[in-house]
Amino acid sequence: MQEQSLQSRQLYHMTIFTQCFSPCGKYVAAANNYGQIAIFSLVSALSPEANESSRLPIYCFKGCKEGAIYCLTSTDTFLISAGEGDICAWKWSDIHNKAPKIIWSLSLPKKGVFTNPEVNSIVVDKQEQATRLLAGGGDNDIHIWNMENGQLENTLQGHEDYVHSICLKNNGRECVSASEDGTVRIWDARSSSEAVHILEPHKTPMCGRPEMGKWVGCVAMDHGDDWLICGGGPKLSTWHLRSLTPTATFDTPGSCQNFVMYHEENVISGGMKPCVNHWYVNGDLKSQVPTTSSSIYNIAVNTVLDQLRVLSVVGNSCKIDVCTNFGYKAFSLKFVPS
Amino acid sequence: MRVSGKMNNAVIDEKRIQATLQFVTLKKMNRLSHFRCRKVREATNEAKQRIDQYHLQLQNLLYEAMHLQKEINKCLEFKSKDEEIELVPVEQFYKEAPEEISKPKITENDDHQLTLSRLDWELEQRQRLSKKLKEVSCSKDEILKEIDTKQEYLDSLQPKLNSILEATKPVQSYLNMPYDETREQHQTALHLPHPLYVLYMQSSAYKDACDKYLKVTIEGDIHSAKTLDMSVQEIEEDSDSDNEEQEKKTRRRKTTEDRRSDKKQRVLRKHPLTVAMEISCKEGSKLLLTFSYLLQLEIITVQVKVIPSCLDAVQNSISGGDLLLPDSILNELYPGDHGNNTPNPANQYELQRMGLHEFSDYVSQVGRPYQWTQWLGGLQFLGDGNPVTVRSSFSSAYMQQTIKQLRKRLKARLALLHQLATLEKNSIPVSSCLIDMFPVKVLSRLVSWKRSTYEDFRSLDYTKNITEGDMVSETDIFFTAVMERGSAKLTCQVVVGADYPTVPPLFVVSISWQVQRNATNDVHIKELEEEVNVHYTELIKPKTRDNLLSNQLQRLLMCFDVYLETESHDLSGPVEIPKDKVFTRVARGPDRKKPYKYIPDLGIFTHR
Repeated sequence: MQEQSLQSRQLYHMTIFTQCFSPCGKYVAAANNYGQIAIFSLVSALSPEANESSRLPIYCFKGCKEGAIYCLTSTDTFLISAGEGDICAWKWSDIHNKAPKIIWSLSLPKKGVFTNPEVNSIVVDKQEQATRLLAGGGDNDIHIWNMENGQLENTLQGHEDYVHSICLKNNGRECVSASEDGTVRIWDARSSSEAVHILEPHKTPMCGRPEMGKWVGCVAMDHGDDWLICGGGPKLSTWHLRSLTPTATFDTPGSCQNFVMYHEENVISGGMKPCVNHWYVNGDLKSQVPTTSSSIYNIAVNTVLDQLRVLSVVGNSCKIDVCTNFGYKAFSLKFVPS
Repeated sequence: MRVSGKMNNAVIDEKRIQATLQFVTLKKMNRLSHFRCRKVREATNEAKQRIDQYHLQLQNLLYEAMHLQKEINKCLEFKSKDEEIELVPVEQFYKEAPEEISKPKITENDDHQLTLSRLDWELEQRQRLSKKLKEVSCSKDEILKEIDTKQEYLDSLQPKLNSILEATKPVQSYLNMPYDETREQHQTALHLPHPLYVLYMQSSAYKDACDKYLKVTIEGDIHSAKTLDMSVQEIEEDSDSDNEEQEKKTRRRKTTEDRRSDKKQRVLRKHPLTVAMEISCKEGSKLLLTFSYLLQLEIITVQVKVIPSCLDAVQNSISGGDLLLPDSILNELYPGDHGNNTPNPANQYELQRMGLHEFSDYVSQVGRPYQWTQWLGGLQFLGDGNPVTVRSSFSSAYMQQTIKQLRKRLKARLALLHQLATLEKNSIPVSSCLIDMFPVKVLSRLVSWKRSTYEDFRSLDYTKNITEGDMVSETDIFFTAVMERGSAKLTCQVVVGADYPTVPPLFVVSISWQVQRNATNDVHIKELEEEVNVHYTELIKPKTRDNLLSNQLQRLLMCFDVYLETESHDLSGPVEIPKDKVFTRVARGPDRKKPYKYIPDLGIFTHR
């Protein structure tokens, strides 16, 4: 009785922070605030005879000892998870066999006794010479590892508060980070010197929203590396990088944006309102798609397989909304731990 | 003419001679014929005589033959007595009989000899058996005699024992050892209906074995119980005559109607004997349960009475006045069991047939038929309704668990009442062993604690997800708490389940501070709720489990402080609520989680 009530409460209080598609594009992995990772089969969820049970996880496992998992990313062979505790890599083939084990793990260098930094964002930078892993999180720094040998190659220091989000620029030679301290910094990923450029959206009258705070929660680069988009406490805005000035704002009154991405000449964002915003790049709202979660943390588009090209949205509910046509929600996958 | 005459004479003479000759011949012939006739007759006679003789001989022979045939038949039909005897089979005979009797060499080829020797063997065996029979009946007679003498002795013992018992009565009452009473109760128990008997037997067994704070007694009128069998018959006769009356109802309609209502009452009739159970807790409060058996519906119902040890606490609490009401105190002792409906599905039809309403309408009259009362009585209803045989093993399997649950429920309700009484005075009674888990300085204050209802709860727009999520039921107990700090006001809907504290109270928070905030528009409020709704295990220490509500409220109060102090605000305006607590970090992770977790050793707040 007690367990049953606790389970339903845990389900109600579940937040799914992140998701990623498998290299084959047939599966989606999602991770929640209890540190569980669930694998869903898109093929069976999208099949014509799909029912309630085909929208439940096909497999579920504990991804970290304690606390939440904030980010997932995938390489050809690995699923990499990070959040509270270490960054862990799992083999996709092991996961398919329902026997996942940690292949390797990386931990943030310890600074003090009481600090226990979390990882909020990881990015894999695949180059010809070496594959690198970039992670930004609670210790205000960005760490760059060589994934082949597990060596910590570089640490980018300068943020005054924790890093929310990072993304790559200029083919991995540069990287961009958004932080709680209200700045967006552009770094040379190969040197460990100070940031190349610092943007402060909260200080520009165009974007600033003092009542929402100064933090920047999300950042993304467009495909041509000319435009940067970021948002959070300040309004979501695009910045022209050569002039380092904001050019357009995407206004979401009363709602801070937690996630933003460029998709086929458009911008998709989500935040503290139960809807996904589709924008034109000039800042006009194209459409708003209602979602189950009242706050959105991640939006992903499956680009691997054309027949499984879906947009999926996760947030502070146990349901993962899946849109086959981006204009409306088709169904929800339910993260029920097994 | 003479010639002629002479001639004639000659002729005549001749003729005469001839005639005479002829005559003589005739005479001779006649004689001869006579003679021959006689001779033939004699021959015939002789032949006839011979034939007669032969015939006689034939008759004799036939008779003889028939006689012999008869004799043969008689012989053939002869039956020997040995054929009626069932002999042992031949193989067994050869195996068991000694050789002197079986004589295998002779008997092997001679059936007659075989039969004879088998008969011999049979005879010998029977003789042996009859000897044995005699011996056994002899010993039986002896034993019978012995029994008679012993019975006599026992009979003479009874009055002696009675007198001894009489003599010990003063001693018993002096030493407070109620053996007699127990004996009487056991006597009475024989008149209980079977399920109640099982209940009585099992609970008193449990009492004797493990629980000295339990009291089980039988109450009610034993005489009417004794005559119950008779009255059952009468009822049947009565109902027959009732039918007749219905036929002539024009004349006696009114009586018929009277009878009908009588009949309805009869469906709900209780057995005159009831089992009363008194469960007392260490601190003196008592739970009185009266179990009755409904004769026609074949279920056990229970009526509850609570006797709390300190009456003042109960009277002082306004919001929890109904917590000890007999109707609700035992709600959901087992999941989903409210005791409103009869657990015997067959009753539904019976009630319908009698034109009665739902069983729940009569609960106040007959008591509540909880599932567990049936279990204690060993009654088990399957889907189709017929009670499976009353099994005491079934009762014993649930006894200990149920008594424990009952006692736990009583304690939990009393503890809840104490808490409510204190909460109404706007102070939170945190358990002493958990006081260290909270900072000394909590600036938010509880300003109101009121009772609320399910309808009120449901009508709030931000509780929709909770009600849909199946976490709240209509039988829960609802409260509204208000906490304040400065201009910020936290309104909290508290849902206390019937099974408190097994199912911990659920909190739904709404904060009014400049704007209205709740879980649907502010993730930090959902986190706040998570702190009390999900991470409550830290607030439970084995001995103070019943105090969970207060501990949760205190944590909520503390977290409200954290929420207000960490909320980002317009830096240009004046700061209404200053940072008073020490935080390692204000926000953490993509959801900018607030540091709701207090580390008592360091006096700082951190993230979960």
